[in-house]
Amino acid sequence: MLSKDPYNLIITGVGGQGNVLASRMLGNLMSAQGLSVTIGETFGASQRGGSVMSHLRISSEGAWSPQIPAGGADMVVALEPIEALRVLARYGNPKVKVLANSRSIYPVGVISGELAYPSLDDVKKWVAELSDRSWFIDATEAAMNLGSAIFGNVIMVGALAATKELPIHREAFGQAMEAAMGPEKAKKNLKAFDIGVEMVGG
Amino acid sequence: MQILGPTQLYEDVIAKGLCTGCGACVGLCPYFVTHRAKTSMLFPCDREQGRCFAFCPRVELDLDEVSRFVHGAPYSGEPLGTHRQVLLAQAKGLSGSFQAGGTVSALLCHALQTGAAGAAVVTGQKDGLPDPRVATTAEEVLSASGSKYGAAPVLATVNKAIASGTRDLAVAATPCQAAALAQMGMNPLGREDFMAPASLVIGLFCTWAIDARSLAALAAEHLSGKAATRMDLPPPPSEILVLETGGRRVEVPLSEVRKLVPAGCLCCPDMTAEFADVSVGVVEGEPGWNTLIVRTQKGADLVESAIAAGKLETREPEAEAAAHLSRAAAGKRRRAFARAREQGLLNTAEGRASLRVDEQVAEKILTEES
Amino acid sequence: MSIAKHPAGERRLYMGNEAIARGALEAGVSVAAGYPGTPSSEIIETLAKAAKDADIYVEWSTNEKVAMEVAAAASFAGLRSLCIMKQNGVNVASDFLLHLAGSGTRGGMVLVPCDDPGALSSVNEGESRHFAKMVEVPLLEPADFQEAKDLTKWAFTLSEELRSLVFVRSVTRLSHASGTVVPGEIPAPRRDAKFTYNGFILDPMEGPVMSAPVTFKHGQQQEKLKRAEEIFEDSPFNTYAGPDNPELLVIATSACWLYAREALRMLNAEGKAGLLKLATTWPLPRKLVKKHLAAAGKVLVLEEVLPFTEENVKVLAQEAADEIGHKPILGKRDGHVPMTGELNPDLAADAVAKALGAQVPEVDPDYKTKAGQYAFFGAPNRDLTFCPGCPHRASFWSIHNTLAADGREGFVCGDIGCYSMAVLPSGFSTLKTLHSMGSGTGLASGFGKLGPFGLNQPVMSVCGDSTFFHAALPALVNAVHHQSDITMAVLDNSGTGMTGFQSHPGLPTDALGNEVPAIDIEAVCRSLGAEVRVTDPFDLEKTQQTLHELLETKKGVKVLILRQACALSPQRKGKKDFDMEVDAALCRGEDCGCNRLCTRIFRCPGLVWDATAGRARIDEVICAGCGVCASICPAGAIIKKPVSAQAA
Repeated sequence: MLSKDPYNLIITGVGGQGNVLASRMLGNLMSAQGLSVTIGETFGASQRGGSVMSHLRISSEGAWSPQIPAGGADMVVALEPIEALRVLARYGNPKVKVLANSRSIYPVGVISGELAYPSLDDVKKWVAELSDRSWFIDATEAAMNLGSAIFGNVIMVGALAATKELPIHREAFGQAMEAAMGPEKAKKNLKAFDIGVEMVGG
Repeated sequence: MQILGPTQLYEDVIAKGLCTGCGACVGLCPYFVTHRAKTSMLFPCDREQGRCFAFCPRVELDLDEVSRFVHGAPYSGEPLGTHRQVLLAQAKGLSGSFQAGGTVSALLCHALQTGAAGAAVVTGQKDGLPDPRVATTAEEVLSASGSKYGAAPVLATVNKAIASGTRDLAVAATPCQAAALAQMGMNPLGREDFMAPASLVIGLFCTWAIDARSLAALAAEHLSGKAATRMDLPPPPSEILVLETGGRRVEVPLSEVRKLVPAGCLCCPDMTAEFADVSVGVVEGEPGWNTLIVRTQKGADLVESAIAAGKLETREPEAEAAAHLSRAAAGKRRRAFARAREQGLLNTAEGRASLRVDEQVAEKILTEES
Repeated sequence: MSIAKHPAGERRLYMGNEAIARGALEAGVSVAAGYPGTPSSEIIETLAKAAKDADIYVEWSTNEKVAMEVAAAASFAGLRSLCIMKQNGVNVASDFLLHLAGSGTRGGMVLVPCDDPGALSSVNEGESRHFAKMVEVPLLEPADFQEAKDLTKWAFTLSEELRSLVFVRSVTRLSHASGTVVPGEIPAPRRDAKFTYNGFILDPMEGPVMSAPVTFKHGQQQEKLKRAEEIFEDSPFNTYAGPDNPELLVIATSACWLYAREALRMLNAEGKAGLLKLATTWPLPRKLVKKHLAAAGKVLVLEEVLPFTEENVKVLAQEAADEIGHKPILGKRDGHVPMTGELNPDLAADAVAKALGAQVPEVDPDYKTKAGQYAFFGAPNRDLTFCPGCPHRASFWSIHNTLAADGREGFVCGDIGCYSMAVLPSGFSTLKTLHSMGSGTGLASGFGKLGPFGLNQPVMSVCGDSTFFHAALPALVNAVHHQSDITMAVLDNSGTGMTGFQSHPGLPTDALGNEVPAIDIEAVCRSLGAEVRVTDPFDLEKTQQTLHELLETKKGVKVLILRQACALSPQRKGKKDFDMEVDAALCRGEDCGCNRLCTRIFRCPGLVWDATAGRARIDEVICAGCGVCASICPAGAIIKKPVSAQAA
């Protein structure tokens, strides 16, 4: 069921992007399939513009450390492009795969002009160099077309499913959504999921 | 004219305590503000050049350049500055609470009435603090009459008026303010709205102006907590400051007041507002009369027109009184030059100066006998 | 579905804090009280959501000391009770804690302090474990999620057996991490509360409850600890895995056990090293630890943050030296493991490798160098900042600018909450002191009495609405009573914003969602005799004018209440009041007269500097539509359009 045990997934982004909800959503999906999931995250400062990370350890064995060892990531899902670089510096390795939302959120230091933000082309090039495979999709744009930026993370989950790195099933996702938020909202979320699948070309 | 930015302005003027609170840097941008007549910088600004620095009369004030701009000739070093005439003057047909002859009010009212100026910036008083304001009628001018001995951010009001589109301003300005207005008129950064910031500058004699908060505190201390409604500084040899409130009159020894004089006034070489169109002050031994120094053509035209209209009466001063005024002005200038030199603020070779002038003129001033 | 409804035996993904809450429910807890603080808050939140289903009482108390008193009352009435707080909350509660340890408890009572090694969400990394030792009560430390639940449940049994408060200490990496948990049964609610007090004065169950006569009760307390040690000797929560005679014995507590286990695997050292997980860390089960020490070559202790267990083990090793011989004990005291900050699998692996003379497997150095360089150049740091639409940004803009314009070098004593971030440039570096809850106003009260010694700077303090009730109130009373010359700004954002909108005494709804009387901060301050003004911080001009007026009022205590709901609050989140737009023709950009005031200084994440255009622009995804930036723009280039008007 898993290409590696534990499978180490890092979801990274910026405070306020819904990192915690996304990691919970994935964790519950994996857990419902009988896998043991350990999620490590920090919040508190997470909504105040800082970089945030969730570590997911997916295993058939049991609890793992809520922090992934250095160089130990198998997949990095970045809700913001440069956050992928930050994570790769500590947790990357030549075999890691990266799925990134290409929509930038500028750090205050960039807004204030003290720091420079790289071009997306550079970020893509660097990430490609540091990974076995990488996907960049504009999930935020697609989500706004769907009505709200909040669908961005579901689109990312759909895209992650399409990479076939983890056993994420459309039906299970739909059921989980329906149980959590009722049939109406679940339908829209499934739509977002499907958009994500398409964007990766699944 | 060396023009730098707000960082240097802060270092050279505000941090060194040289700021006189004239308001030249206020109202141009969000960084410099005035509160209770004191200028503060809210946040750093990293621009390399700014109008704030260009306009400030306490940093890189090139007396020769300013003089050339106002008078068409380099700084002369004459005690009373470049001028055409020294007269005694008093207002005719005006009533107000004048310090002396009401000449400033008379000239401003006349300028407004004849259209020589569209509006006047005058300094009234509010809550014990000097309150610069825009006046467009004689009544408004007269409501602000009387000397203020606290520093006032007159130029902040000028900047605000300019920003809101007011032109043809007549400004009653102290010497530092007149110097700043001249620098504003030179418009070194080429801003369209500063092509002609003031069409008429009426200078006010000034020996020093105390920080408003300190002056209000001094008044409150002597007037059992009340704000002074009127102040007077009788000419020497009387060594007192007179404070009045609600019929009460208190005399404060000048020795006590002098402790409060800001460093920015101690290195000011100008007593008679040499860069104004006309300058007005109190004259010793002639109650009800002002000294009027006519400097520019514009100033001369205004005075002539006011006399012709019967708004102003003038006569020649006594020779001794004129000489006395010259001595006082020369004394202030010499002391200021000496202090500036001592502190490395005059014609500074490396780094920024407060004052710049032809070195020979400077030497002459420094070696004048008292 | 609340956690109380989760069927027994069905595996779930629980956050550590949820596991603790479920454990308390399975123990039949009746009352839970706490004060919000990261990383502890979700325990009370989870229980509050389950309160109806489980028929329990849950409250967010005014502060941690009161929370512990509320929980203790339930214990005295024979019920089981739980008290939660973050690490420094124990400092606040410690006066009562000492006396409660002396008086003993009746119904099972458990205190869960959640420590924050590495200060991920704190301004300290203080330790609560030392309190257990200091006041002489037992301490338990769960090491994973299932254990967080099971150990919490068992702690109540232990508490009743000993008639003593029991600590269950958690840490951020457990409280805020999630793992698989299998829930157990929840017993029926209790209805037999009774406080008995007429018995013999020394009778722990029938007499009055107090810590006197002191030496007698203190002696009893120490007997309880001896009994706890006996119980701990056989505790199934202390486990050992590894060879019978390991070259290295690793003793690990709390989340460090997970790190240690992973470290041993990374190093492939499971044949050489044994891993003793200690869940009962005070008092130490001496026989058990002695047995493992005797069998090992050397010992490494892994724990966070201070060498608490390490020192206890060292004392034990010295006492047992004749039996077990000399055992080198590695840890923090010899610098083998860092003495500050949190541990992780890598630091654990380093420590084990150093002890065994082994090598930690590394990622290809070329890859690491390259990845490090790309991150350095490509991933600019993200400083913490106030959220878009945060009222604190507006409040500090006004406070900073007013004090700067005032020109008398006034300053602000800070306090604990989101607004602590105003020590950073994002809050215009407005705060000049930052300590514990309520200490801003306490410090201000002191500064305000230094006038006669020549201090003529205006003195201000800030505190949030929740902090106001927690500990700022006594400081305010002090300042008023002693006529200290201060201006206190209460940043009233209608909730405990930092930790996620928990209720507090100023709000009309409690933790359970009941309608309750709200204590009016304005009325409280007025009744104390302070001069009080209220403004909307989004009205910058009015706020600054009001503050200037207060600063000019020389004598006594002035309070400015800055009232505006948090941008993340349920009433404001996701709702824009204004659609914002930058008129590029008016924007002055970097010209003299502006120089990017909005993006360079105001720094709301919703405003971005478009370097190519040389103009500011709104990021509509991030902008919260509060409209404040329109008031700061010197050129009037930022335009706000009311959202409702536009829709109409």
